[in-house]
Amino acid sequence: MTPVIALSLFGIINLFLGFTFKRQSLQVVTLLFIICSMALTAMDWNHEYLWFGDMMKTNNLSINFSLIIQLAGLLVVAFSNGFGKDEVYTQPAEYYAILLFSLVGALLMVSFQNLIMLFVGLEILSVAMYVLTGSDKRNLRSNEAALKYFLMGSFATGFLLFGIALVYGSTRSLYISGILYNLSHTAPESLPSFLYAGIILMGIGLLFKISAAPFHFWTPDVYEGAPTIFTMFMSTVVKTAGFAAIYHILDVTFGGFQKNWIITVYFITIITLILGNISAAYQQSAKRMLAFSSISHAGYMLLTVCANQPSTSSNILYYSLAYTLATAVSFAVLMVVAEYQTGRTEKPENFDALNGLAKNNPSLAFAFTVALLSLAGIPLTAGFWGKFFVFTDMFNKNLTYPIIIAVLMSAVGIYYYFKGIISVYFNSGEIEKIETSFLFKIALWSACIGTLVLGIYPTLLKSIF
Amino acid sequence: METKTDRFMQSIPEIIRTIPLTHYILLSSALFAIGVLGVLTRRNALIVFMAIELMLNAVNLLLAAFSSYFSDPAGQIFVFFIMAVAAAEVAVGLAIIVMIYRNIQTIDIGLLNKLRN
Amino acid sequence: MNYQPSDFLPIFVQLAAAMGFIVFTMIVTHILGPRRSTKLKDEAFECGIESQGDARTPISIKYFLVAILFVLFDIEIVFMYPWAVNFKQLSWTGFWEMAVFMGLLLAGFVYVIKKGILKWEK
Repeated sequence: MTPVIALSLFGIINLFLGFTFKRQSLQVVTLLFIICSMALTAMDWNHEYLWFGDMMKTNNLSINFSLIIQLAGLLVVAFSNGFGKDEVYTQPAEYYAILLFSLVGALLMVSFQNLIMLFVGLEILSVAMYVLTGSDKRNLRSNEAALKYFLMGSFATGFLLFGIALVYGSTRSLYISGILYNLSHTAPESLPSFLYAGIILMGIGLLFKISAAPFHFWTPDVYEGAPTIFTMFMSTVVKTAGFAAIYHILDVTFGGFQKNWIITVYFITIITLILGNISAAYQQSAKRMLAFSSISHAGYMLLTVCANQPSTSSNILYYSLAYTLATAVSFAVLMVVAEYQTGRTEKPENFDALNGLAKNNPSLAFAFTVALLSLAGIPLTAGFWGKFFVFTDMFNKNLTYPIIIAVLMSAVGIYYYFKGIISVYFNSGEIEKIETSFLFKIALWSACIGTLVLGIYPTLLKSIF
Repeated sequence: METKTDRFMQSIPEIIRTIPLTHYILLSSALFAIGVLGVLTRRNALIVFMAIELMLNAVNLLLAAFSSYFSDPAGQIFVFFIMAVAAAEVAVGLAIIVMIYRNIQTIDIGLLNKLRN
Repeated sequence: MNYQPSDFLPIFVQLAAAMGFIVFTMIVTHILGPRRSTKLKDEAFECGIESQGDARTPISIKYFLVAILFVLFDIEIVFMYPWAVNFKQLSWTGFWEMAVFMGLLLAGFVYVIKKGILKWEK
């Protein structure tokens, strides 16, 4: 697993570069590091390797997930712009190093073959995110978000660990292959009953991390309180890695026990869809709306986990990619507008702060619109095909009622996403031209073009996945 | 050469097995439940934090018991990883709590409601 | 070696005796001893410099960072126990792997020193 080693080393190097380098050069160096590790990831294409005492496996699926995760990291670093100009209170070298370390955790989560690796990867990712959430030290909202995220995250880890312990106790192995072997060679009657409790507890632990309802209550507060650039990272990387892990646990490892977990997960999925979309429609703050929208997108992705078809993995991949591109762009535009509006209006992250953006900043407004359309699932954007593939899967499995709820809920989604588009184009407001850096523009445009290309030629990547 | 201590060390799994496995599961489930209750009911961030540590230690106990029962070291190695990661979490968690204490001179989580609109 | 629950009986007898003795002495001294409290007697220190302020004063935040760093570096020792037990079987591969692990810890330590966290007087 060369990218894991490379990213860890790059992170350490980045820490030491912070003593001499300026923040803009640190940003460029970090971008080069991530591109380098993406190349290393892609080099293993079409090969299956076992690493670290058979504890990790890289195959095409895990490479695809790794690439999406690193792409999200790349976008976040490009949008970060050296984390502002505050010399005293921001430590760009540490932030970039922690971002690289958390990418390591995410890579472990997508390619684990042993439950120890799942736990270690999840914790590397989460502990790094706790730090980044609280990185705005003097801001009480950021402090509060960090404490909430930390307490809820470690609470969820406790559930995951108890589940792992029970699964270990009933299958006598921590290796996925060993668990599968023991499950297939034991009569279902002689398996201890706490195995089922273990599966559900593991599922709850992971669903906490991807913020599915009813375990979502921390999400809006944490997403709103954290600095926007890290909210972007949280909602893209953590969610993709979490879904890779959920797919691996529920569908690959315990797919044979579907009847034991499917009812619970269905219930959670439908609650997630309804709560996420309805609450998003009420929000005045655009950042909080995006937080609820990330909850609702977790619901759509859980639908395909429930369907458990052969195409499930490629659907999750496609949806994650579409969601990552769109979310990154919408948070980026929100971030620069909020930066501009700070001091000018009372609540710089509300929809009202976006009023009249299109007049002097047509490119930002266009990118924001494309991203919101993709999140809403309008045709000709990547988000539409993401939803389309998920619904097709459900249809093939004759799961009519969940589809009806999901379609109704995406209609609700159109309402609140269009609220953003209306305030950008039709409401009147005074926003001057906002200057953005060169890297910011490149990232914004490539993510936008990616969304449109995936929307027009959905088969382009579907054949690779 | 096998000393008396070696023989004693080797008999530890047998000694552990004299207590039925169900008892271990019940004990650690009880500890875990106490931890969960602590997280849900206490208002002081530090106590909540200690309750979470209790949950993790309940898991450690369970893993060690299973590991001795199966004579399989993997479970105990996992315990080491949980301990190391818990230490990292303690470091970050205490740093967050200290940061909040510096800003508002209290660690009552009930007072943290700036984000509820 | 096979222990019966009854084998632990002497321990419990010992425990009960010890606890009983403590409780007994505490109660008896409480009843027998005379109590005459004066201002001078209630002082924390009967002689020496006058004590000032409360004992529960906040401690410098530097101690906190040092304590946290101690916990972090201390807990990594836990991974050396299984290595030490299997030292011979793992031979040189295990040695180099442990060397890499310690090297990473050392990099962290160098970073801590360069950051100036262990500098006591700023």
